[in-house]
Amino acid sequence: MQAALPPWLWNLIVAVVKPTLILAFIGLNALLLIWGERKVAARIQRRRGPEVVGGPWGVLQGIADGVKLFAKEDVMPARADRWVWSLAPSVVFVPAAMVFLVLPFGALGPSGPVLVMRDLENAVLYLMAVASFTALGIWMAGWGSNSKYSLLGAMRAISMLISYEVPLVLAVLGVVLAAGSLSVVDIVRAQESRWFIIPQFLGFLVFYAATLAELNRTPFDLVLGESEIVVGYATEYSGIRWSMFFFAEYGALVASSLVAANLFLGGWHGPFYPGVHWVLIKTYALVFLAIWIRWTLPRFRIDQVMDFGWKVLLPLSLLNLTATGAWMAVKA
Amino acid sequence: MVRVPRVDSRSGLRGAWRAVKSILVGHGITFREFLKEPITIRYPEEPVPYPPGVRGIPSLKVNMETGELNCTACGLCARSCPVGIITVEPMVGPDGKRMQYPAVYRLEFHRCLVCNLCVEACPFDSLEMADMVELSQYHPEALVFERDQLAEIWKRSRAVRIAGGQKI
Repeated sequence: MQAALPPWLWNLIVAVVKPTLILAFIGLNALLLIWGERKVAARIQRRRGPEVVGGPWGVLQGIADGVKLFAKEDVMPARADRWVWSLAPSVVFVPAAMVFLVLPFGALGPSGPVLVMRDLENAVLYLMAVASFTALGIWMAGWGSNSKYSLLGAMRAISMLISYEVPLVLAVLGVVLAAGSLSVVDIVRAQESRWFIIPQFLGFLVFYAATLAELNRTPFDLVLGESEIVVGYATEYSGIRWSMFFFAEYGALVASSLVAANLFLGGWHGPFYPGVHWVLIKTYALVFLAIWIRWTLPRFRIDQVMDFGWKVLLPLSLLNLTATGAWMAVKA
Repeated sequence: MVRVPRVDSRSGLRGAWRAVKSILVGHGITFREFLKEPITIRYPEEPVPYPPGVRGIPSLKVNMETGELNCTACGLCARSCPVGIITVEPMVGPDGKRMQYPAVYRLEFHRCLVCNLCVEACPFDSLEMADMVELSQYHPEALVFERDQLAEIWKRSRAVRIAGGQKI
């Protein structure tokens, strides 16, 4: 099929179809996870959760929420920094979508082609660079809103950034070291006989904790901090812009779960028959874990996050890296 | 000088173990709750069980054998009512004498305190709090109940048994 078309047309089709697929995947996930998270939260608190709005068990809650948000007035604060303020939701959303570029969704059969948008050679580097971009959007939202709550939330996000970003990179480095490649596809291939979570359980813990911090999810949701600073950087947003933040949040949650599933849980490898279903099962198990953690643990203070990042996560990630390096040296 | 070792259960390895343990225990608790049935009652669709003795609205007891009210129109309930919302007028017989039966028994429920004092004042056991609580109306006039309506409410309330007008 590729040969029958002129290259520019083929490239155009690919350039339209692939982002559409990513955006559709994110949109579908956001719609279902809005409902899913509320449902899990309700069950943990022994409530029933949304079940009235539509469909079996209220599955269409996300659509109802979406319609409501689209119909709402788009309020801009009077003294907001117009451009910075209105661009911020997109700047938060785009990295969440860009992450999907290098993540394999699975392979068709044991040795079939890999379902990945683009198998970059330096994919892990790209992941780290793009994912931390979200903080810029958060800062834009906080600064542009010209509101004390927004600014406080955004400042917390920025001050938290380095304390989790360094352990995050070091934890991933252990995986890269063991696989000997920066490509996510190669990393998954290296886990055919054994998932990296088994030798590098410590690394997985550090990675997951740092990921939660990067997602601004509980117990690191001090950036949003509903009980103290309204909703932090998103305070002054309403309607469709606010729903962009929502989409970005759930897109990033799925993206980071997909990253963890690929880097540590063996991607499409699994018992019986490797394939797409294993990636999805692992991803949604990790999404459930994140939701479970959110409804169990209370929020850290900013100084506790710093403590945790520098005094716990960083030494643990260094330990993991050293152990992995030593093991590689012994094996070689 | 004797050195007292500093014991702080929140730092060091012991503190780390405590933190890990409490996180695991906490997640165990939330997961167990996650698996349990919700305790929510879908209220308008499902009935809410009321405890015995719930005070909904004062209603007139009926002798289920004769179909007559226990009320003798003595008016003690009207006197005992702190907000004065009960109007009792006795029936007048053909000889012009007052009969021991109410002709009018009006309860302006929109001002009722649901205090139970009328029930306690009644010497003939002819009043009882029915377990009807879904009595919302758009206008207060709709909450003025007459004699037969109050008897009807008592009959429809929970656990009416035919035993000489007595509920068991």
